[in-house]
Amino acid sequence: MTAAPDAVAREVAARLEAAAPLNAVLHWSAGGIEAEARRVAAMPSAGPLHAVPLAVKDNIATLDAPTTCASRILEGYRSPFEATALRRLRAAGAMLVAKTNLDEFAMGSSTEHSAFGRVHHPLDPARVPGGSSGGSAALVAAGVVPAALGSETGGSVRQPAAFCGVVGVKPSYGRVSRYGLVAFGSSLDCISVFGRTVGDAARVLATMSGHDPLDATTLAEPPLAVPETPTSLAGMTVGLPTEYFPADLDPGVRAGVDRVAAALRELGATVTEVSLPHSRYAVPTYYIVAPAEASANLARYDGVRYGPPRPEHEADLRALYRATRGRGFGPEVRRRILVGTYVLSAGYYEAYYGTAQRMRARIAGDFRAAFERVDLLLTPTAPTTAFRAGEKTEDPVAMYLADVFVCPASLAGLPALSLPAGRSEGLPVGAQLIAPAGQDTRMLAVAAALEERVVAAGEVR
Amino acid sequence: MTISRDEVLHIARLAEIAVDEAELATLVSQLNRIVDYVAQLEAAPDEGQGDDFLPGPARVALRDDRVRSEPLAHPPAALAPAWRDGYFVVPRLSAMEDA
Amino acid sequence: MTWETVIGLEVHVQLATASKMFCGCAAVFGEEPNTNVCPVCLGLPGALPVPNAEAVRLGTVAALALECTVHPASVFARKNYFYPDLPKGYQISQYDRPLATGGRLAVESPDRGPITVGITRLHLEEDAGKSLHDRFPGLTAVDLNRAGVPLAEIVSEPDLRSPAEARAYLGAIKQLLVFAGVSDCSMEKGHLRVDANVSVRRAGEAAFGTKTEVKNVNSFANVERALEAERDRQIAVLEGGGRVEQVSLLFNAASGEVRPMRAKEESHDYRYFPDPDLPPLVLEPGWVAAQRDALPELPDAKRARLMAEHGLSGYDAQVVTAEPALADYYEAVVTAGAEPKLAANWVMSEVLADQNAAGALRVAPARLAALIGLVQEGTVSLQAAKKIFAEVAVSDGDPAETARRLGLVQVRDAGALERWVDEVLAAHPEEVARYRAGETKLLGFLVGQVMKRSQGQADPKGVQPVLRRKLG
Repeated sequence: MTAAPDAVAREVAARLEAAAPLNAVLHWSAGGIEAEARRVAAMPSAGPLHAVPLAVKDNIATLDAPTTCASRILEGYRSPFEATALRRLRAAGAMLVAKTNLDEFAMGSSTEHSAFGRVHHPLDPARVPGGSSGGSAALVAAGVVPAALGSETGGSVRQPAAFCGVVGVKPSYGRVSRYGLVAFGSSLDCISVFGRTVGDAARVLATMSGHDPLDATTLAEPPLAVPETPTSLAGMTVGLPTEYFPADLDPGVRAGVDRVAAALRELGATVTEVSLPHSRYAVPTYYIVAPAEASANLARYDGVRYGPPRPEHEADLRALYRATRGRGFGPEVRRRILVGTYVLSAGYYEAYYGTAQRMRARIAGDFRAAFERVDLLLTPTAPTTAFRAGEKTEDPVAMYLADVFVCPASLAGLPALSLPAGRSEGLPVGAQLIAPAGQDTRMLAVAAALEERVVAAGEVR
Repeated sequence: MTISRDEVLHIARLAEIAVDEAELATLVSQLNRIVDYVAQLEAAPDEGQGDDFLPGPARVALRDDRVRSEPLAHPPAALAPAWRDGYFVVPRLSAMEDA
Repeated sequence: MTWETVIGLEVHVQLATASKMFCGCAAVFGEEPNTNVCPVCLGLPGALPVPNAEAVRLGTVAALALECTVHPASVFARKNYFYPDLPKGYQISQYDRPLATGGRLAVESPDRGPITVGITRLHLEEDAGKSLHDRFPGLTAVDLNRAGVPLAEIVSEPDLRSPAEARAYLGAIKQLLVFAGVSDCSMEKGHLRVDANVSVRRAGEAAFGTKTEVKNVNSFANVERALEAERDRQIAVLEGGGRVEQVSLLFNAASGEVRPMRAKEESHDYRYFPDPDLPPLVLEPGWVAAQRDALPELPDAKRARLMAEHGLSGYDAQVVTAEPALADYYEAVVTAGAEPKLAANWVMSEVLADQNAAGALRVAPARLAALIGLVQEGTVSLQAAKKIFAEVAVSDGDPAETARRLGLVQVRDAGALERWVDEVLAAHPEEVARYRAGETKLLGFLVGQVMKRSQGQADPKGVQPVLRRKLG
């Protein structure tokens, strides 16, 4: 998009208007977009993302629009500071155009757990866009913006990218600053990006990456590079982990991944089977580690320093806490805080949290061992295509299993992406690439090479 | 049942989250579903003590001791649900008075 | 029945940094409430902690001064509890992997003489804000200026055996930390806060009794009083056939009583876990060794040196090393040429008195050394020297010149002395006659008259021989 900022502003505003039925956006205003356009137009020189309209998940701190995390407890909250990643993107000329809907505090896999209503799948309103970054995924899929920020804790960008048929990239942990990303599971959280193309996503990722003195978990490394698209993958070995292709895998999903494997071979890569035996424990490990961290991360929402207006009748501090948090958090957030509190509590810590930490090390160890043999891993992103709204809301564990293939790379802190791999019965299928830590650019290069061959593939089954 | 009703109430108190009597039964059953599910880890084959895994840097980078506050675009008073004469104010809790 | 008291102390000391533990806000005292805050110390959504290198260094220095083992890797942990002045709902502290463990501190016990108190551990943590319960009726007011200020928590072994000994330990640890440059230890500013664990057992028993914790006492004198009150309470309970409950108590300085804190519900399950925002704190052995090498001379070593090299008594060495500034002053006076024992006497009397009155060490060390020299050579009397000291404290003038200006130089000139003696003998013929008749004790009276006539300027040592000769 190389149009003038004001023209981009008008066009994006019109598209946002048209996309309103998706309920993908929590905050936007024509005035806000125009102000961004004026800011970008006034920049002394055009940055690498000049006038690129960007939608941002509403758990990333922005200065002018609210930052609510789709939670009643932060309704109306305006952050007095801006996330480092977003600051860098805006300094490069990107225009913040909308704050997108999400599962409350990024806890969910369908964007049904938003306090402000569920997000609809752009191709079938009865289906979910995936989650938790469902709003950002739907906006990119609907063609409203070329790229959008989401966040990952256990696959919350890759899984909705697969459901919506867009590119979703999670960087290596520590390559993008978390400063200003509202914390859920701090050892897992990564600001991540959706793009209509690998190139769009890669440019956004490169711009926002790099060490941040405000985040002690960022690596002292320079920003990521935007990859060149290779014409051949000769000499590269790609592993298919057998555990990620169970017998009951959705046939359409399998066909899509098979097509990507075929494209890899066509490009000269060697494709071989590998084993990641502990990945089967990733979801239970994740559902101990993430809630444990969340139980502490969400303790700050106590109604003392910020938060919704106070219930008048609470004359006792403890009653105020309990009412603020009891009413302010939705059911899934409450469940996770309670599970996290339980697994850290006296007498249970070792059995749950201690065990999960050791399992996490084994899951990461499997990847390290596999990457001694192969350069990249290829798996399905999700076990199914987009499911129907309401299908998994009654059983939290069924919902958690939607992340079974994305969660392991999150636990291991690895870069991973979901690439559109055609459609099954009209719904997008995603194929996942996972790379060794720090190999983000190489992974993106392979995805760029594959993109032309598989994205426009159409029906795979 | 792994977690009893009383335990749910106990952890809800630890987490300072009010739980309505009406939703308690559902909550107890959902938490048990989740905890029973994650408890499969304990049944995983014991492979001995491993090192803990940490993503990101192996050691923390320290900050120079320079006074440089990150700015606030609007002051605490603009954020506070209740504010008086420069202070955040909350109802007084007798049990906390002395702590 | 005799009882033994067993005490262990947890001392929270504010580290002397410019900025807070995990953010760049100033670590200052006395600002307008909630003005010295930022996203990090307000606990805003999305803010992250970054540790202060100087706080780590000062914690390391404190640990080394206490002869602890400083660990090559330690881990920040979250201590979870809700309190209105705890912005994040957890305090960043250290738990199962603290910065340092296993040290010791030499203490002069008022009961047992020199003892060694074990240091269990030293860890780094951030302070909470301040809750004011008396600012507005029915409300708690919260000021977060102090939230995030760096602290070291120093936990002792239960090696102390009396409230007075606990107080002596606190004096020794404060002195050590001030000498090491770790903390200003200003009690008024709350730089040093104490939680005390105390139990009693029958003399000769090996097992410890049930302990209670007296929380957050704000002066050393009050720690001693609080521990005395709690010890007496426990003994009374046990002698009455009761049992001591494990509780936390607060000391009311006005009434001198301890009373149990109204229980903080569920407060005992802090759910510590490693803070995922902070990778391990790794200290290179070479860096730790350099900190050890750079330690200033600590009070114990300094006292030993002053006793051995300057010939000071243990008491004198103790007094002149009370504070680093005083010890430096004393040494500067000696370096400027004063005899050590005389310098110590001056420091312990006039210098300390003047410092207490004026709040500063006003007489430059070289000036004091010169003044001590004037006394030693007999140019001025000790009485005169004290007047000169007081004058120099204000004027910063040269002591010899000040002595002349004030007419305090002792006259030893034979002609002047003889003139005064002649005048006195002429004025007191009766006493002269009685002296000559054998009443020799009148010599003192006559010396006094000479001193009076000379307006105090005559050197009394020079007057006597002249008088004797003239009377003889």
